[in-house]
Amino acid sequence: MITEDLETYSDTVEEEHSVEACTKCTACNTVCPVARSTEIFRGPKFLGPESERYRDQHEATVTAGLDLCSGCKLCEVTCPSQVSIQEYIRRAQNKGAREKGRTLRDWLLGHTRLLSRFGSLTAPLANFGNSNPLFRLVMERVAGIHHKRPLPKYQWLTFERWFKRHHRENSPPAQGEGRVGARRTVAYFYGCWVDFNERKLGEQVVAVLERNGIEVIVPRQQCCGIPAVVNSNTDLARKYGVENVRRLSQLPEGVDIIASSTSCGLMLKHDYAHLLEIPGAEQVGSRVYDICEYLWMLHEASELDVDFQPVDTRVLYHAPCHLKSHGIGYPAMRLLHLIPGVRVEEVDEGCCGISGTYGVKVEKYDLSMKIGSRLFEAVKAAGSDSVLADCETCRMQVEHGAGSRSAHPIDILARAYGYR
Amino acid sequence: MKCDIAVVGSGLSALIATRTLQRAGRDPVLIWPGLSSLYFLYATVDVLGYPNPTTAEPVEEPVAGVRQLIAQNPDHPYARAGLAALQDGSSLFLEWLREAGFNWQGTLARNLLLPTATGTPKPSCLVPTSMVAGDLQRDEPIAFCGFDGYQDFIPELAASNLSRAWNGGHRTVTAARVSLPGVKPDQLFTSIDLARSFEDATFRREVASRLRHQVKDEGARLGMPAVLGLTHDTDVHAEFEKETGHPVFEIPTLPPSVLGLRLFDRLRRHIQETGVEMIWAAPAHDAEVANGRCLRIHLKSAGRETPVEARAFVLALEDAVDGAWRAGPHSVRDPFFHQLLAHHATPGERTDESLFQPQPFAGIGYPVSDRLQPSDKDGHPLASNVFVAGGGIAGYDPTGIKARGGMAIATGYRAAQEAMAA
Repeated sequence: MITEDLETYSDTVEEEHSVEACTKCTACNTVCPVARSTEIFRGPKFLGPESERYRDQHEATVTAGLDLCSGCKLCEVTCPSQVSIQEYIRRAQNKGAREKGRTLRDWLLGHTRLLSRFGSLTAPLANFGNSNPLFRLVMERVAGIHHKRPLPKYQWLTFERWFKRHHRENSPPAQGEGRVGARRTVAYFYGCWVDFNERKLGEQVVAVLERNGIEVIVPRQQCCGIPAVVNSNTDLARKYGVENVRRLSQLPEGVDIIASSTSCGLMLKHDYAHLLEIPGAEQVGSRVYDICEYLWMLHEASELDVDFQPVDTRVLYHAPCHLKSHGIGYPAMRLLHLIPGVRVEEVDEGCCGISGTYGVKVEKYDLSMKIGSRLFEAVKAAGSDSVLADCETCRMQVEHGAGSRSAHPIDILARAYGYR
Repeated sequence: MKCDIAVVGSGLSALIATRTLQRAGRDPVLIWPGLSSLYFLYATVDVLGYPNPTTAEPVEEPVAGVRQLIAQNPDHPYARAGLAALQDGSSLFLEWLREAGFNWQGTLARNLLLPTATGTPKPSCLVPTSMVAGDLQRDEPIAFCGFDGYQDFIPELAASNLSRAWNGGHRTVTAARVSLPGVKPDQLFTSIDLARSFEDATFRREVASRLRHQVKDEGARLGMPAVLGLTHDTDVHAEFEKETGHPVFEIPTLPPSVLGLRLFDRLRRHIQETGVEMIWAAPAHDAEVANGRCLRIHLKSAGRETPVEARAFVLALEDAVDGAWRAGPHSVRDPFFHQLLAHHATPGERTDESLFQPQPFAGIGYPVSDRLQPSDKDGHPLASNVFVAGGGIAGYDPTGIKARGGMAIATGYRAAQEAMAA
């Protein structure tokens, strides 16, 4: 006999995201940028919910071709039933890698922070090697990194060390938890990219926040774990996540957490709690904001300084796939519209194709460029100064594929505040 | 976040409501819960195909038919929206299509009779130009063309059904079938894959050449599954007609609907490019009501809920099938006001055993006021500044009367008008 208890059961959130909610409608396959670009990929529906019904944690992973999934999450964005398609694929990838072992290349790419720390310590040498064609050919043979893929430049002075100095030089003596006169305090989750490759972005984020009377603190942090997730190593990602959750949980109440990388932010907000099932992650996730999301919130509360200098520029905006997964719209576009002189147009051509470390790999480079080709063509045709994107690897890919300049939207904001 | 008017939904009624607001100089935000009806369904605009679900005689003049329907049935969603909303909304829709680069035909004054994928004549009103040559009110013979390995269109079935149904069997209907270049016999592909392939000129010319050899009747129109291009379909259709030497018409197929995706993708892009913000991946729920007005709804964003504050809200929800409602074994509730929309002693009461009978679940929705406000069971609006369009309205069941696009346009347009006045 059916009881009303069942009704409560079927109305739980777990049900909403579960494999049972999949109606096999195939909407995910039609938007999948990988499935669109190669016929050897069977698409998210088959590799996610379809195969999941036949997966057993005690048996070998059945599905081949899992590693072609780039992790853009557009399948989840599109799913009318909110099935966590990606998470099934990720868990199966991890299990497959546990059974079969990982390549040295994937192990290294999963340990981005380690790799970047090494790159930063040896910056001049690492940058020379990364741009040396001969070395790149060797690297392709030995490590499976495609020789045509430009690799990010490492910087010797990390953001972490810069911030310590900045804090020493600029901070009045702290009283209690917050800085004197500060209306809000935020903890900046800068991520490996800002730390080792684009310190300037971190400096701009700090400048923009401080300009608005917000105290910025920088808690100790580990890699967010997304490079590990996409390299079939959710075990490692979980280890990183547990460490981050432990540290971020210790922040005083009322301190919001800001991320300037779309994907780091999404890990903290969502994947720690859902994909990695880290205890306490929901509480941390509910405090995390994308930097533009946060600034727009300030604006709506009339707390954002809108005394902008004109910035005379015409820019394109590319919305990263993972930004769509945040479910917050495009706050960067809204902010840019506030600045006099800025003419911004969205270039709506879908995934750029790089998907973090995916497009770096020798066997996936061509596919990654094919996925991004529509975007590259549109950027070239638009003939604009530069492309703005909230995600660092999207920026790398657009620069490489379309030959344009690129920046985080915060770059324009910082300029409008007169910060160089 | 704060906005002027928030539209929730991803189907035609949501798009029409958003466009209506945009054209009126308002600043709508489109909150998109995932790809739904346009992906599944035909995406022609059927205004009224049959006067009621049990009549076999199709309506010839849809606008006259709707006028009659409204007079006879004052609770019908068409009556709630009003005939003017259908007419003005359709004009806005056609103008929008032109601006977004589509090529459509038709008027509210006359229905076309177009063959379905199973060879059944179906009345439709506004349709892509690529379908018009299929009109069964014309006399030329029809040759249905299918492809080896493509499961969603069986030309022999369509031909055998249509030859019986079309004008008492006095017309010539044939079937042809060709293999596709570069497709392996066991390869799985969907309409979308095929539509992308047809944008490649070499592929298309080869298919055209194979079809020319197969179809012997020089005066025949070719009925093809709707796979002639995904983004450049107008050109692909024109080129393919030249390459085959026949008039060609497209026939909508099972999901994924190429016609629906063309429409959704380009209209969405068009409103985004012209300044409307769209919020992806954030299902909306929980309306906060104070003093009879809805202050905000909440989006299920990553990590936490995002409150959306607006002057007015249009809930252009899809119908029961795609999860707009929360259904337990007995009760169906709405996610915004947590109203009990239906109660059943057993879940079986929601369905009719015959697939071709009206399904009780399809009519589940908010009772609405004359202004399309969702109301409680006594008819009192739940919030004065919230309006419902599309499948969220109680009794909204366009299937049997073939009125899907028309009802979406009329209610979407009217809800937007009301939202502006709220």
